[in-house]
Amino acid sequence: MVERLALEALGVSKRYGDREALGGVDLIARPGQLHGLLGPNGAGKTTLLRILLGLVRPDTGTISLLGAPLDTGRGLAEGIAGFVEMPGFYPYLSGRDNLRLLERLDAGGAAPRISTSGSVLEQVGLAAHADRNVAGYSAGMRQRLALAAALLRAPRLLLLDEPTNALDPAGARDIRALLAGLAAQGTAVVLSSHDMTEIEALCAVVTVLHEGRVVVAGAVAELRRRAPADVYAVHTSSDAAAIRLAAGHSGVRVTVPPEGTGFGLSAGLDALDTFVLALGQAGIAVRSLERRARSLEAMFLQLTADARGTEPADRRTAS
Amino acid sequence: MSLRGALAVAGVESAKLGAQPAVQILLGVCMLGPFAFLEVVRLQASLPEDTLYGRALRDSGFATPLVVLGFAGLWGLPVVTSVIGGDLFAGEDRHRTWTTILTRSRSRAELFTGKVLAALGFSLLAITALAAGSLAAGLLLVGHQPLVDLSGVVLLPARALGGVAIAWASALPPAFGFLAVAILVSAATRSGAAGVGVPVVAALLMQLLALADGADTFRRLQMTSAFGAWHGLLQEHRYYRPLIDGAAVSVTCVVVCLALAYRALQRRDIAG
Repeated sequence: MVERLALEALGVSKRYGDREALGGVDLIARPGQLHGLLGPNGAGKTTLLRILLGLVRPDTGTISLLGAPLDTGRGLAEGIAGFVEMPGFYPYLSGRDNLRLLERLDAGGAAPRISTSGSVLEQVGLAAHADRNVAGYSAGMRQRLALAAALLRAPRLLLLDEPTNALDPAGARDIRALLAGLAAQGTAVVLSSHDMTEIEALCAVVTVLHEGRVVVAGAVAELRRRAPADVYAVHTSSDAAAIRLAAGHSGVRVTVPPEGTGFGLSAGLDALDTFVLALGQAGIAVRSLERRARSLEAMFLQLTADARGTEPADRRTAS
Repeated sequence: MSLRGALAVAGVESAKLGAQPAVQILLGVCMLGPFAFLEVVRLQASLPEDTLYGRALRDSGFATPLVVLGFAGLWGLPVVTSVIGGDLFAGEDRHRTWTTILTRSRSRAELFTGKVLAALGFSLLAITALAAGSLAAGLLLVGHQPLVDLSGVVLLPARALGGVAIAWASALPPAFGFLAVAILVSAATRSGAAGVGVPVVAALLMQLLALADGADTFRRLQMTSAFGAWHGLLQEHRYYRPLIDGAAVSVTCVVVCLALAYRALQRRDIAG
């Protein structure tokens, strides 16, 4: 039996004048999958989502959403929803009235017989403020309203651009739980973010973009296995002596000194313990030791740093 | 593109226009402004005698809508249609709502058609409100005395009412022409201020050019000239040339401006 993909984008490119925003990006998402789209600012995440949502025409590439080719001349197909950046709403209308207008647009005429605006407002935690004009909404409330607008379409493919960046920690946790619940019901969720922790906590699959190209893609578990050791910032009583000592220790790698003092250290936990004991035996006091990046985050930073100005060595299709 | 989809957009756009304070104020001014105008005239010792039907303002209530039409043709109707059409597309840029409405089930063609239909409907509503308001002001404050047409023939109230209706109907083509200019400027510049201001400035420039010496053909090809086409309709022997020329220029303007605005929307990348 051939598995039907929720999203298949192959070789997607886009240029704005002389600037290449995307250079042959592949992205595949399956039903029920939470797929993270990760990259630093300007990596091309939002441009890719704009293309997938029909807001921007790609220069090259083939795109299939829920089994049908993307047609930018038509409206968004049924079952597909999403937003990019912070979408706007009409400030002179309430949140509920904004959703009702969008419902009418989707229904193609008069208001649908059964409105779901009330239930999606409940789902995103905005029911108590639904009848206030959007002009008075905070950024977090607008973000919740944007998610509610997307949920109105009962999506089977949900494309979201940093859906929690304006929310407080509790609000972000609620939305992550909501997205996990949608995926559990079979919705494919593609989630862009520059927050590695969020992607790692939520997504099973990740695609990392840098400067418009895929630098790595695959299952989070697999990437975690391939990830480099954690990175620590170390300050000692004699950094020069500590760096010389580290050169003789296996499993420990000194990175560029952070901010002129101290130094960076990449090491697994066992190797780090051994190195710290060795520092003590050598009469070098450890004044501070702070973990700077978790393993996947370290990999992300390494990949995006390595890719700068070079052709990525590891270009694969996420699935 | 489906007609049902376009009508759905028109319904949504109408709801949005109706909820906007600027449009609500505009409709209120159209309805009540003529009452204020006529009351001020009645309080003054002199009448606006240099305006057609100005000296008849106290003699027949049917003169009021014709005087208002004369003033409206100078700049009022371009202002009315520009307020409605000038923010039609630019408003989506200002509120950053393009991504919101373009990620629904309606195509760009349906969105464009629906928006234009809603703007046409609201423009017609506002012009009707201005005509009805000025007629109501005249009838209520002055009365329904017979009206003397531009040939000197006395028109009984029923015929005078018909003349007023035809005169206002003749102003619709150029009014829609200015609406189309506002829509084009709104779509092309993405600025509501430009969408409202450019058509009004263009109308004033046309009025100035009409005062300059030059070929009569050039004068007839200006849309503002079409606002005066009703002069030929309130004659014993009607003449239609200004009406036909004005309608032709206005329809050409509508087609060209809407085609360019549609092209601008279709080719646009919503890229933030």
